[in-house]
Amino acid sequence: MPRYLQIWLASARYSIVRTLMFRFDFFLWATVELFWMSVNLLMISVIYEHTNSIAGWSKYEMLLLVGTSLLVQRFLMGFFWSSLFELGRNIRSGYFDFFLAQPGNILFMASTRKVDLDGIMNSFVAMGVVAYAAHRLGLHPSAADIALYALMIVCGLVIHYSMLVLSISIAFWITSAQGIEGIYFTLAEFSRLPREAFRGLASLVFVWLLPVVVVSNAPAHTLLHGFQPVWALALLAAALLWLGAAIFVFHRGLRRYSSASS
Amino acid sequence: MNKYCHAFLVGLQSNLVYRWNFAVRGFFSLFHLAVVFILWGAAYSGTREIGGFSFGQTLTYFLVMLVMQFFVGAFNEDYQISEEIRNGLINQFLLKPINYFLYRFSIFVAARLVTGILILLPLMVAVPLLRDYLTLPHDLWRIPLGITAMAFSALIQFSIAYCFGLLTFWFLEIQGFVILSMAVESILGGQMFPLDLLPAWAYRLAQFLPFYYQTYFPAAIFTGRIHDLGAVWQGLGIQLGWVVVLLALNQFLWARGLRRHTAVGG
Repeated sequence: MPRYLQIWLASARYSIVRTLMFRFDFFLWATVELFWMSVNLLMISVIYEHTNSIAGWSKYEMLLLVGTSLLVQRFLMGFFWSSLFELGRNIRSGYFDFFLAQPGNILFMASTRKVDLDGIMNSFVAMGVVAYAAHRLGLHPSAADIALYALMIVCGLVIHYSMLVLSISIAFWITSAQGIEGIYFTLAEFSRLPREAFRGLASLVFVWLLPVVVVSNAPAHTLLHGFQPVWALALLAAALLWLGAAIFVFHRGLRRYSSASS
Repeated sequence: MNKYCHAFLVGLQSNLVYRWNFAVRGFFSLFHLAVVFILWGAAYSGTREIGGFSFGQTLTYFLVMLVMQFFVGAFNEDYQISEEIRNGLINQFLLKPINYFLYRFSIFVAARLVTGILILLPLMVAVPLLRDYLTLPHDLWRIPLGITAMAFSALIQFSIAYCFGLLTFWFLEIQGFVILSMAVESILGGQMFPLDLLPAWAYRLAQFLPFYYQTYFPAAIFTGRIHDLGAVWQGLGIQLGWVVVLLALNQFLWARGLRRHTAVGG
């Protein structure tokens, strides 16, 4: 374990040095993320100019939900996005050989090569959104509640990570598939919606089959209404299940990898 | 003219060959529509009207916008142009009597013709399912004026993509700029919510920006979110103004960019 921590720290150090070299890139991407977060927040505030409730959620409750969803996504962007995005490209180009030759868990090595400081910095903005919404709602969560919320965010990160790995792994089977990362972004859109908004078939697919709704709703519920074992267990189960599925599919895909370089 | 016709025909063929890209994009659009349906359905659960429009009218707005984008939206033209500049493919155009803008535009028109016609297939499946929700106004004048606005909108969208592509003369990577501008366009083009829901001052301000004419304006004509004919004519005037400004900007960036171009590779 400490060996992997060392490897990760080395990657992080390398990423920080890189960021310092390409400062303009850092500012540009930090702004890009900030803008996209604002787009989501702006949409919510415009809708609430015209209505008081979305599926029974008030404006600041919804802000807390969207903030939570953005927080999980920022962590994914900060810690894993660049590495996994390149993974897809490397599988197509054949550069993935480089990772196969490394002495360590392949998925770990391929997922943690780069850390994006802009994503991590914007996670503080997302935390600010959640804190602001909690403040406007007059919430006073205990230290235990906050710890539980943090744990649930980690579970959420595991689920988002798994969804992204699953989407990228498609490249093992369909090497011509460009833009498959879009699958992840499309699914993540659903995590900004309250559970109560889903009915019928949508509820079956997005609440029960895919973990996109529970990822954001479970932690938001914990802050709003206190600890509810059902939500916590559902989230934990989803995290384990989807991580298992991601690891399994990734390794099945690995067998098909034929070093497609020319 | 003949040479651009050939570019158009090649564009048609290559778009028919790469059907996979279309399938992926269509698939994402379907899910995006589901998000819109769920979110706005929930917002309408406590109220009959938002901004004076029913749920059906709002859903129709988003559907029209989505379908329209397959006909006029610049999709990855910016990246293609950027790619051609970076790996020196544009050098061949500098040596031949071909206008690069017109060449690219011919391919863009061909690509939109293919994706536009292809989207009609899933649409034929979706419309009977959504029939109860769809409501379009019946004024006949909306059709010719809406189509005119769509044509201008295609020019604006392509010109903006072309400008971003040309940024490659100055920057190695344009992806950051493109995604940044997508965020602005999604809000000010009315893709996240109908712009008329903005506070009056913000809506008025948006009407003077090019993004308004990229997507919102034609969709608003078709779906009745712009009521009177006078406002449509005024909008078309401003839209045409932006077309001219952006075309001029294209020429300017092209001329300035070529001075920096070192024609590597090719």
